Amino acid sequence: MSVLAQTQQDALNLFEKIGLPTQRDEDWKYTDASRLKDLLESKVSGASVDIHNLGITELDAYRMVFINGVFTANESNLPQGISIESLATFETSNDNNEKELAKLFQVSSSDPLMNGFAAYNAATAKDGAAVCLKDNSKLDKPLYILHVSNQSHVIRHGLMLGKHAEAEVIEHFISLGEDKALSNATTAIILKDGARLEHSRIQQEGKSQSHVARVEVKQLANSSYTFHGVELGGILSRTDLVVDLHEQGASCSLNGLFVLGGRQHVDHHTRIDHTAPHCTSREHYRTVLDGRSHGVFNGKVMVHEGAIKTDSNMSNGNILLSKNAEIDTKPELEIYNDDVKCAHGATIGQLDDKQLFYLRSRGISAEAAQELLTFAFADEVLVAMSNQTVRSYVEKAAFAKLPHSDDLEGLLSE
Amino acid sequence: MATNEEIQKDLEKREYDAGFTTDIESDTLPPGLNEDVIRHISAKKNEPQWLLDWRLEAYRHWLTMEEPTWAAVDYTPTDYQSISYYSAPKPADSGPDSLDEVDPKLLETYDKLGIPLREQEFLAGVKNIAVDAVFDSVSVATTFKGKLKDAGVIFCPISEAVHDYPELVQKYLGSVVPQGDNFFAALNSAVFTDGSFVYIPKGVRCPMELSTYFRINALNTGQFERTLIIADEGSHVSYLEGCTAPMRDENQLHAAVVELVALDDAEIKYATVQNWYPGDENGVGGIYNFVTKRADCRGDRSKVSWTQVETGSAITWKYPSCILRGDDSVGKFFSVAVTTNCQQADTGTKMIHLGKNTKSTIISKGISAGRAQQSYRGLVRMGKNAENARNFTQCDSLLLGDKCGAHTFPYVEVKNATATLEHEATTSKIGEDQLFYCQQRGLSEEDAVNMIVNGFCKDVFDELPMEFAVEANRLMEVSLEGSVG
Repeated sequence: MSVLAQTQQDALNLFEKIGLPTQRDEDWKYTDASRLKDLLESKVSGASVDIHNLGITELDAYRMVFINGVFTANESNLPQGISIESLATFETSNDNNEKELAKLFQVSSSDPLMNGFAAYNAATAKDGAAVCLKDNSKLDKPLYILHVSNQSHVIRHGLMLGKHAEAEVIEHFISLGEDKALSNATTAIILKDGARLEHSRIQQEGKSQSHVARVEVKQLANSSYTFHGVELGGILSRTDLVVDLHEQGASCSLNGLFVLGGRQHVDHHTRIDHTAPHCTSREHYRTVLDGRSHGVFNGKVMVHEGAIKTDSNMSNGNILLSKNAEIDTKPELEIYNDDVKCAHGATIGQLDDKQLFYLRSRGISAEAAQELLTFAFADEVLVAMSNQTVRSYVEKAAFAKLPHSDDLEGLLSE
Repeated sequence: MATNEEIQKDLEKREYDAGFTTDIESDTLPPGLNEDVIRHISAKKNEPQWLLDWRLEAYRHWLTMEEPTWAAVDYTPTDYQSISYYSAPKPADSGPDSLDEVDPKLLETYDKLGIPLREQEFLAGVKNIAVDAVFDSVSVATTFKGKLKDAGVIFCPISEAVHDYPELVQKYLGSVVPQGDNFFAALNSAVFTDGSFVYIPKGVRCPMELSTYFRINALNTGQFERTLIIADEGSHVSYLEGCTAPMRDENQLHAAVVELVALDDAEIKYATVQNWYPGDENGVGGIYNFVTKRADCRGDRSKVSWTQVETGSAITWKYPSCILRGDDSVGKFFSVAVTTNCQQADTGTKMIHLGKNTKSTIISKGISAGRAQQSYRGLVRMGKNAENARNFTQCDSLLLGDKCGAHTFPYVEVKNATATLEHEATTSKIGEDQLFYCQQRGLSEEDAVNMIVNGFCKDVFDELPMEFAVEANRLMEVSLEGSVG
């Protein structure tokens, strides 16, 4: 049995052992995953999907397109001389790399936030992007990974950035059709010394689609990782974001924005492990909840023994626009060390009356004023996005989800 | 930093000055727990049938429950068959009618602890506080009964209240913490032996501070007291409890239940100075303090505040909570917790907002030194109908030493769009710049550390009744005494 096959078999054994999470598990207290049970298996079929005009078309980037979890070469556009390819071909064409690759499939019950979905992903994933950047190389254009689906599928990406390598990766999830389905996506990332990665994940699936994701990042010395998680679509979406600041001087910045309505349910669990001294972490999540939507944020920072001079800061702001919306938030700190500077804050509230009054006194309608302030509240997270094309795409998409957005579009474009 | 290390050393060395035992003959049940033991306790207390049935119901429920393991504490589980569920100083069958009948050795014990049981001391103007003293399983003396009775206030051991005011006890007992609420509450409901009962009638402002002093003395016993405080419409009461235990090598269990009921416009202030024996520097011995405290703000505009200074116990598992049921009701929680050596504390609060315009404030200050582990675990829940609910939470931790830990697990659940909530938490050590600044102004290093720690705890100490604020300050100072220079 090949190394990869063996690793996948181990993952399957783990999945069979732990099963899918239930609400009795502390980490799944607020999210009922029982309805995903029947959607777990990926359905591979040759259903053709027209992806014309989908995604961020105006973005100047290398493209990888996955339809129902399968790499579609003729829609993609990859750079020369850099190892970016589909996991499916990577496996067969590079025997020497197989061991390295297999590492990205390893799962263990002791991994933080490990659960049945993640184990199932590792056990059954057949395709995904395999990105390997050599030391000191820089990807001259962002890599845009577009996922289009109308069925349940499993996908697993692996990103390895060599020493001082730099890249920007954007993952975009879109679904077509009305059938209930589940996307199960994992991205495993290793950043070597001094590497820099900006990673955006935009979940914009259809209203009957569910989404379960895991992002695992291991950071070596002085590497830097920036994450932007944007949750707009889907009916049930859960993301586990696990960052290990493994060596001195590593830093991460995690940003999240949920704009939800209807009966949407979005849950982000983040876990940052400060295992080495002199590491910095920043986390900033904001949610805007309308309708009967339900947002869950659980941010945990774990400072291990010996991780001196840790600097950690987390903030979480939430606005409920409707009386049926619900937010559950839990910013956790676990600290086994005295030489640290850690803080977290969470707020839940309404728009500022004074600001509303100011806008109205300038002749702006109550709805538009409310809209404008809500937008400004949400946009504060997006400020950290360095790619302006992606940012304005997200702004437009997020904005369209707010009630009365039509009145304001004109106002903003002026 | 030298200072921190020294403070830490000193904290480790901190001696427990309430660690003596009193050689007193006691009437103790053999270890073990079964329905007969409960019947025996009930018979000893000459309880009515309904209470025995209530206890048995709790016991049967307890048998089906498992000890909770979610708290961030690590300890050897108690063998519930190896402890004795009833211990009373002899003779205990009939309660003392006056202080002259109380065993002089007991009075000596309370004297050593600085609890002025003798009314003369009050008359001499030492303190103006009514005290109910609970020794192992029974209440031994309640002072100032007469004066309180004139005001209409009932303040007596709960075992007496069962006989004298059965309708009140039956109406309210278990109405805030039901028998099957959790593992330890169920155990307590089955075997509780004594505790204090307070009833403040309509519109009465209790003329003095009420206080209960708990002491575990006998070997191999657990203490299971139950406190019930009812503040009727428009009344006001301030209540303080204190706790100590002898130094022993084995762990003793303390599983208490405190229920507070505040009706319309009533206010209850409940303060605790918990100084149970924390075990030695290697974590041997000490009290397991597994306590369920809950207040029900049943009436509109009612107020409850919990203030706690937690310095003792090997393991603490305690979450004083407020159910803000009445409209415009207010819940407050102020806590200072100090853990040193191998102490572990998992403590915090729950604020359940159900009524409209309810407000809650949480201020929690943790100081962790040595190899101690401390967690703040809190819940703020705003229900669907809690219009305009408001919460402010601040939990800060001060770390002294690189082997200790401080953790924060705040749960926030909001189901109402008009709710406003702010939560902030920080964790750090004493800033070198702060120390430098104070020393530069001519303060010795020790004074500077004391001042900074005191400042850190000030928000909470300010909430204690005057006399106890002084006591709490002293307790903190003793902890830090001689730490520098």
